[in-house]
Amino acid sequence: MAKLWAIIKREYLERVRSKWYLLSTALAPLFFGIIAIVPMVIASRTKASPDLSHVVILDATGTQLGLRVAGELAGGISGAPTRAVVRAVAPSELAPAETLATHEVMRLQDPMLGYLVLDSSTIAGHSERYAGRNASTLVDVSEIESSVRRALLAQRLEHEGLQPSRIKELTKVDLKMTSERLSDRGREVGGLANALFSYLIAFVLYMMLVIYGQQILRGVMEEKTSRVAEVVISSVSTDTLLAGKVIGVGGASLTQIIVWVVSTALVFKSRGVILARLHVANVELPIPHIGIGIALLLLAFFVLGFIFYAALFAAMGSTVTNEQDVQQASLPVTMLLVASIVFIQPILLDPTSTFSKVMSWLPFSSPILMPLRMTVVQVSWAELAGTLAGLLLACVAATWVAARIYRVGMLMYGKRPTFREMARWVRRAA
Amino acid sequence: MSEIALDIQNVRKSFSGHVAVKNLSLQVPCGSVYGLLGPNGAGKTTTIRMILDIIEPDSGTISIFGESSLRGRAGNRIGYLPEERGLYKKMQVRRVLKFLAELKGVRGRDADKRIEMWLQRLSLTGGDKDWGSARVEELSRGMQQKVQFIGALLHEPELIILDEPFSGLDPMNAQALKDTVVDLRREGRTVIFSTHLMENAERLCDAVCIIAHGEKVLDGTVTAVKAEHGGHYVAIALGQDRPSAVADIFADRSLVNGLDDSNRTVEIELAPNADAQLLLRKLIDAGATVERFELVQPSLHRIFLDTVGATGVEPGMSGHG
Repeated sequence: MAKLWAIIKREYLERVRSKWYLLSTALAPLFFGIIAIVPMVIASRTKASPDLSHVVILDATGTQLGLRVAGELAGGISGAPTRAVVRAVAPSELAPAETLATHEVMRLQDPMLGYLVLDSSTIAGHSERYAGRNASTLVDVSEIESSVRRALLAQRLEHEGLQPSRIKELTKVDLKMTSERLSDRGREVGGLANALFSYLIAFVLYMMLVIYGQQILRGVMEEKTSRVAEVVISSVSTDTLLAGKVIGVGGASLTQIIVWVVSTALVFKSRGVILARLHVANVELPIPHIGIGIALLLLAFFVLGFIFYAALFAAMGSTVTNEQDVQQASLPVTMLLVASIVFIQPILLDPTSTFSKVMSWLPFSSPILMPLRMTVVQVSWAELAGTLAGLLLACVAATWVAARIYRVGMLMYGKRPTFREMARWVRRAA
Repeated sequence: MSEIALDIQNVRKSFSGHVAVKNLSLQVPCGSVYGLLGPNGAGKTTTIRMILDIIEPDSGTISIFGESSLRGRAGNRIGYLPEERGLYKKMQVRRVLKFLAELKGVRGRDADKRIEMWLQRLSLTGGDKDWGSARVEELSRGMQQKVQFIGALLHEPELIILDEPFSGLDPMNAQALKDTVVDLRREGRTVIFSTHLMENAERLCDAVCIIAHGEKVLDGTVTAVKAEHGGHYVAIALGQDRPSAVADIFADRSLVNGLDDSNRTVEIELAPNADAQLLLRKLIDAGATVERFELVQPSLHRIFLDTVGATGVEPGMSGHG
């Protein structure tokens, strides 16, 4: 036990003392803080987006629709269409009118943002056309589209004999949807925020497994190539060395995560004070509530996932003796991790599908995908317990196989072993 | 306490069809310096790794101080310096040594005290620079070897196993290591070292075992081995200008059975019933300047060549004159 502790201590302290570790641990909260505060400061300092009414409207409808749209773009039905240039054109003259409008958009002096074409198809409620510098800005395009929709609706209502003021009352619909997640704990705020938060959790887990897994692989390879492993193995068993390495490096990564979570939470908590000092209004961010139960489950998935992948990375590290082979050796294990991360989006889109469930049960993907699923939708305790038990069994199997490859691999030099040879080592050791 | 520090009986080890060690048996008495001699690839390192339980023998038994398992107490009674030296390059020297001490059950201030004592003793601190606080990668190769040697001794082992300890060492560091081995012997510890440099073995060892191609060729105390391979040997030193007739004398099979010519010194095995005086007279008559003419016991190098054969000797190992 004392020897295991000596190995854990070395692995942990040598990592947390490194400049890379100290920098990444200290800078990440700063990064998260910047994400939480800077956009608000920038938003309060910068002017509103460019005036959308600075467009040419080619109205081939033979109605007043162009003027109405200009009004909508300028800020509502009674808005002054000061910037928009509305041209009534005959449908047959649309082509030269568009050419002229294109020149107005492309000119150097006071260029227009774009031009909008309204024709009989627009009146029929089918289509409109827009060409402009901001055509790929989704928000702008969406605003232009809804302005035309509102203007057309107003025109139709006026045809039906309604007063403009009454139309204004009826068409002013400023809906903002808030989404809530329903779970056993009742209603929770921020459905979308919840999804983003879950994505963040899954991504951090993935990142830590890849970064620290690779560190273990390289650490094992260095121990082997520098031959220091022989001295250590003469004092402790390879199983103890492997266990100490996984626990020590795992501890270093867990420390980093805890520092990140605590410091980021502190930054978020004191965000109001910081923003007040910068004279910026605070906006409530809907951060989902993470209870102690969920936190412990996340921890369990991380710890078990780490053991599973770290053991496999260590086994692969013991089979290589040079930098060139590292990428090849780590590829099979990294592929398992990548296979988990590529399914984040489909699972976020439909977390209750059979595919999402199966992926979150499989031991190689459950450390990333189950935390993702369980923070998006309600997952039963039985399902969570089953997944954890499966992952635990996979950990035992992975460490058993890894320890056997590691035991032989650490003293093997020369060419890299094939998978068949590694399988033979495992069989023989068993 | 057992009188035998290490007892190996009929040990065999093979790798993928190649037999590295064949039915090896040897005994190392407590408090002796024991040399495991053999050319490169003879099976010395494999034997040492089996002694240390790093690899398991296919058959046979190994016991250390009467215990067959190293995982118990016996493990902490052994100090080991492997042939391929290596330390954690980015770690500070004192931290590496503390870690190695902890692996052997020495902790806290006790470990710190021993580390300082050894750093001082092997001149790694106390001079212009305190190398103990430097990173391993900042040390020269010789210094790194010293650090690793300290690592093998921190827990005051009763049995010290040194695999090719002199390879890569400059004369100063080699001397420091030899002095330490002699001190350890005086303190009553058992030292086993493998080498293919016979001169070192001859100077340091109480007993030796020569192995080649995984098999024991001979073993015993150095005195007994030399007596057994007695014969008549003469060490001759000749002046710079050697007359051509000398070569004819050396080629005379009625006088000379074999020779090891190292330019300035020639070690000659006399033919059975040959007279050393006759050889001396012939050399003087041939006009050679004889600076030294001495009846000697065969050197370990000579015995090694005779028993293993020149074919078993790797290039660069004929370090003996």
